[in-house]
Amino acid sequence: MKILVIEDDKESAAYIARGLTEHGHVVDRAETGRDGLFHAGDGGYDVLIVDRMLPGIDGLGLVRTLRASGVKTPVLFLTALGGVGDRVQGLEAGGDDYLVKPFAFAELLARLNALARRPPLQEVQTLFRVADLEMDVLRRAVSRAGRRIELQPREFSLLEFLLRHAGRVVTRTMLLEGVWDFHFDPRTNIVETHMSRLRAKLNEGGLPNLIATLRGAGYMIHTEE
Amino acid sequence: MALPRILRTTSFRFAALYVLLFAASALVLGLVVFVVAREAMLGQMRARIEAEAALLTREYHQDGLAGLAVTVTHRGRGAGALDYRLQDAAGRRLAGEIPAIGAQRGWFDMTIDETHREAARPERLRVHASTLGDGAVLAIGDDLARVSEVQEAILRAFAAAIGATILLGAAGGLLLSRAFLSRVDAIVRTAEAIIDGDLSRRVQLGGTGDDLDHLAATLNRMLDRIAALMESLKQVSADIAHDLRTPLSRLLQRLEEVRGGPATLGAYETAIEAAAAEAMGLLDTFAALLRIAQVEGGERRASFSALDLSQIAETVAEAFLPAVEDERHVLRTEITQGIGLRGDKELLSQALANLIENALRHTPAGTQIHLSLCRDAAGQAVLCVADDGPGVPAEERSRVLQRFYRCEQSRSSAGNGLGLSLVAAIAELHDARLTLEDAAPGLRVVLVFPAPGAPPTFN
Repeated sequence: MKILVIEDDKESAAYIARGLTEHGHVVDRAETGRDGLFHAGDGGYDVLIVDRMLPGIDGLGLVRTLRASGVKTPVLFLTALGGVGDRVQGLEAGGDDYLVKPFAFAELLARLNALARRPPLQEVQTLFRVADLEMDVLRRAVSRAGRRIELQPREFSLLEFLLRHAGRVVTRTMLLEGVWDFHFDPRTNIVETHMSRLRAKLNEGGLPNLIATLRGAGYMIHTEE
Repeated sequence: MALPRILRTTSFRFAALYVLLFAASALVLGLVVFVVAREAMLGQMRARIEAEAALLTREYHQDGLAGLAVTVTHRGRGAGALDYRLQDAAGRRLAGEIPAIGAQRGWFDMTIDETHREAARPERLRVHASTLGDGAVLAIGDDLARVSEVQEAILRAFAAAIGATILLGAAGGLLLSRAFLSRVDAIVRTAEAIIDGDLSRRVQLGGTGDDLDHLAATLNRMLDRIAALMESLKQVSADIAHDLRTPLSRLLQRLEEVRGGPATLGAYETAIEAAAAEAMGLLDTFAALLRIAQVEGGERRASFSALDLSQIAETVAEAFLPAVEDERHVLRTEITQGIGLRGDKELLSQALANLIENALRHTPAGTQIHLSLCRDAAGQAVLCVADDGPGVPAEERSRVLQRFYRCEQSRSSAGNGLGLSLVAAIAELHDARLTLEDAAPGLRVVLVFPAPGAPPTFN
């Protein structure tokens, strides 16, 4: 992916750029809002990583300007401001996701991937098939190897979230936000315990596990290709 | 133009405005009285002259011109008498003091010239002249000065009244303003003392319950709030200084150890892992402290919305159920549906999560956790998390709400001692009452939210 990092703190920017480059992405950097606006305006990027607090035009203003001029490149806000109001402001300004510093790099990677391949809004998928697992979102039906599996509503949402992001890493925080709408970090293993129950139901009868755990990163359902 | 301060007070301006309005209405009243009195007096004068004219005309018809002349001369004497002129067809004066009149007949005013003046004769007369027959003319007049004297008296009376009004009004306004200013000055002095650093000063109330008292009470409440915020800020700084020292020195120790000791790759890795974990823990603590400070700051009230507390309780309970079961605890819920209130969904979820986590972390396996939500008789939403674990001794219950406080028995378990402080801050943000009770055995944490529509409490 081609990613533009708009961040005034040189050290953070270098850290992010290095990490992303190591993961095979092409990274450009901008240090001021004006600079970032100039580069991002060309629209050649797959994702923009924008710091909230920038000299000159701040992150919110930058994204508003971009959106107003029709640039639809997905934007991930990076910020030290983690309040719910800040998050809402960021999303209202036209940001697509929000990550509070400090963050684990795996979290950033997972969210970038989720953003870059976010399907256009109109085609919301309602039928999923991975290996012998099938999910029909409209009928609320899940089956494995042709056998119907009864899931609790939350387990269903969890599986749906994983399937919508199939082939991509989904982090614990993404699941807390996406499935439970919890924007705080419980110290309890909520995600892990629900995941193990979901797995147990999916793997009943000794079927192979479909949901991979990536240590320190999150979970992933592998697609076949 | 710089007016003296007392003249610029609101109360003086009001007083001045009222005085002006009153003076203006007195003036209008005066004018009306003036005009009505004048008309009445002129009417009276006219009636008197007409009656006299009728009388004298009859006299003329009875006694002739000569007889009339005698009567006129006679009637013209004495104080308050009318003025007369009787002249013959040639215009010669037969009786009376009014100097020659021209061809005018009927009603007219005339001024008597200096040359015609006799002692004590009026200057301006209202005259009625009529022809008697064979050219003789009888003119009867009255002194207009009589009317103007009364008019002047009316004017003087009203001028005095208006003057007194203005003087009294201004004096009253000044007195009021001085009272007002002295109270405003008291508020200003308090504010200045606070600016100079004495945060404990409060505005004195007059005790009359008037609008200044109301304002002063509001100011005092605001000052209390600011003082509380300052206190919490001080508390946070003290907490950071005191309680972050330990993990920071632990972090430094670990790094020092590998720097000084035998440098195997494994030792480095372990040390880095440990240091990173310690740093993460520190960041978590910071985040928790900032969150508490943010909640205590009250700014999130602005984003309050109507929410379904029952649903939040269901969601949180459901989220924790597997974890609770894995820790071999039991979670029972008793949630009345459809309990709504205005609040912050995220914070309420977190408060509830913290309470369940506390019940989970500080109790042995087999403990029952009971989550209930209902409305009491007064319509207040009551959220309750109870366990049948070891509980918290009565003397420690108030302290567990303080930042970083951890009971002796929980020192060894994970946590930063901030969970309940955050719950307390969230409760206060929602005007909810947080109490810790003995569940005999165990601990019961109760949150009572004010009934919808209940007046907000300020404290």
